[in-house]
Amino acid sequence: MSDDLILGTSFIIVFAVTLFGAGVGKKKSTDMEGWLVNNRKMGTFLVWFLLGSEIYTIFTFEGLAGYAYINGAAAFYNVALNDVAYAIGFMVLPTIWLIGKRFRYVTQSDFIEGRYQSKNLGIFVALASALIMIAYIDLNITGLSAVIQVIGQGSISPTWADTIGFLVLAGAVFFGGIRGNAWQAVIKDVLMLVAVVILFVVIPIRYFGSFGYMYGSFVRKIPSHLVLPGVSKKLGPVWLITTVILNAVGQWMWPQWFGVAYTAKSPRTLKLQAVFMPFYQLVKVAVITIGFAAVLILGTSKPGNNVIMMLALKTFPQWFLILFTVAAILAAIVPAGPIVMTSSSLMAKNVVQGLNPRISDTTVYKMTKALVFPITIIALFLTIVVPSLIVSILLVAYDFISQLFPAIVLGGLFWRRATKEGVLAGMLSGWAVAAYLVLTKHDPIGGWNAGMVALLVNIVVFWLVSLATKPVPKEILTNFYQDAFPQTPADPSPNTVEVIVD
Amino acid sequence: MRRALWAWFIAVVLIIFLYVGVAALWVNKVKPTILGMPLLYTWFVIVPLLNPIILGALYLYDKRHNPQAEEVSSDVR
Repeated sequence: MSDDLILGTSFIIVFAVTLFGAGVGKKKSTDMEGWLVNNRKMGTFLVWFLLGSEIYTIFTFEGLAGYAYINGAAAFYNVALNDVAYAIGFMVLPTIWLIGKRFRYVTQSDFIEGRYQSKNLGIFVALASALIMIAYIDLNITGLSAVIQVIGQGSISPTWADTIGFLVLAGAVFFGGIRGNAWQAVIKDVLMLVAVVILFVVIPIRYFGSFGYMYGSFVRKIPSHLVLPGVSKKLGPVWLITTVILNAVGQWMWPQWFGVAYTAKSPRTLKLQAVFMPFYQLVKVAVITIGFAAVLILGTSKPGNNVIMMLALKTFPQWFLILFTVAAILAAIVPAGPIVMTSSSLMAKNVVQGLNPRISDTTVYKMTKALVFPITIIALFLTIVVPSLIVSILLVAYDFISQLFPAIVLGGLFWRRATKEGVLAGMLSGWAVAAYLVLTKHDPIGGWNAGMVALLVNIVVFWLVSLATKPVPKEILTNFYQDAFPQTPADPSPNTVEVIVD
Repeated sequence: MRRALWAWFIAVVLIIFLYVGVAALWVNKVKPTILGMPLLYTWFVIVPLLNPIILGALYLYDKRHNPQAEEVSSDVR
């Protein structure tokens, strides 16, 4: 079977999956709430896959194995960060859901605008996060290119494959909305899980004889891949601690993940996710294991991101590669769906309608859907034309997005004295510190993740400036938090809480 | 509400400690191996299995003590 035939068949299957998603979601996508958050009616099953789809992307399939292949045990940061994030999300997401339901919020910026009573802050955060998310779409496009390059071996232009793949996705998202994307995620996650499990079982037996021999080989031949900092040299235990905490608090700050919270049908649905999602992390451990095995099977000179597909090519008959190719292509394009949707809704609802409130909700809905195509095309254009700019933005993207934590969780949920000025000053300070440290190659600094240093600066500035500026009136906040933090006889009154916090 | 928030906070700290505290302090080694697996690797296999138990216990506690509503009307705008 030729490479072209494998890719051609894979693209036909991917096209069928995206069409299926578009068909399933179309009926529910008749207005903004239906299209973007499924009218807040998604049950445990679909929310599980939707969250899983956003977390288990082409990075898990290719990048994580490559990270383990190059940096060894430092890759375990990726197992820890999601689990800590699920624990944080256990309380944060349902609370955001309750506030969002009451005020009919559909985006992260709606929440910020409501909490801080500032339309301008909402517009600013919407613009900034939409730009960061466009860079994140490019990460998926780059992942798709890597798959096409390895499987097609130069026979098909990755640029054309990226363009077709992402325009098909834009069409599917346009018609099927978030519900259609969730059903695509179900198929993608199942295929990805099957592909990883097959690799995890077959590789030890085929190349080492058994799991025991494989682990024995790891211990004897690559011990520096099994401890921190080990082979990575710079990524030690302090780096692990600061990176896990930074990325865990940052996970729900990505507007597309924040938005998934609004799709659930109840707060309990989100709490159940937090309980069961950690099982998913075992898939990541399996991928890291394959990355370690690749060091012994392929040597250390390969490009890290390609090792999974190279092992699949080396191990399985060609017809069987269709499974891996379809899983990898879906892992690249399906998670981009909510990112494109969220970016377009931030631009249309929070920026355009924010600047011109007379625009009707129906017009905003149509504009949001229409923006799906230009945003996808901009992301494609930037990846192809200015890849170095994208690399720079991506380097700081995670650190930048984590700087929203004080605004959304600390001040957004728990500290009522927080002000919009504090949020803005803290965020700008955090971004400046993160950009300086990362772009001047001072990450890690003194063993610390640079983003964590930036977050600490952000929190101090946020706190000081908030204390020096005027907070949102108490009665507005009491109304804002009415469902999120109901008063019980055992709790002190809101005034007492204020005094303690002040 | 305060009891539910404290329980959640303790669970978050415990999970962070299990992942990064224990990993940094005690298990950042290749040996001893457990069932043939390197020590740090084994730890990252065990903790994803422990977390659902911790969060499951938190879920049950939260269900009993958290006064947050299960449903709210969205008539405020």
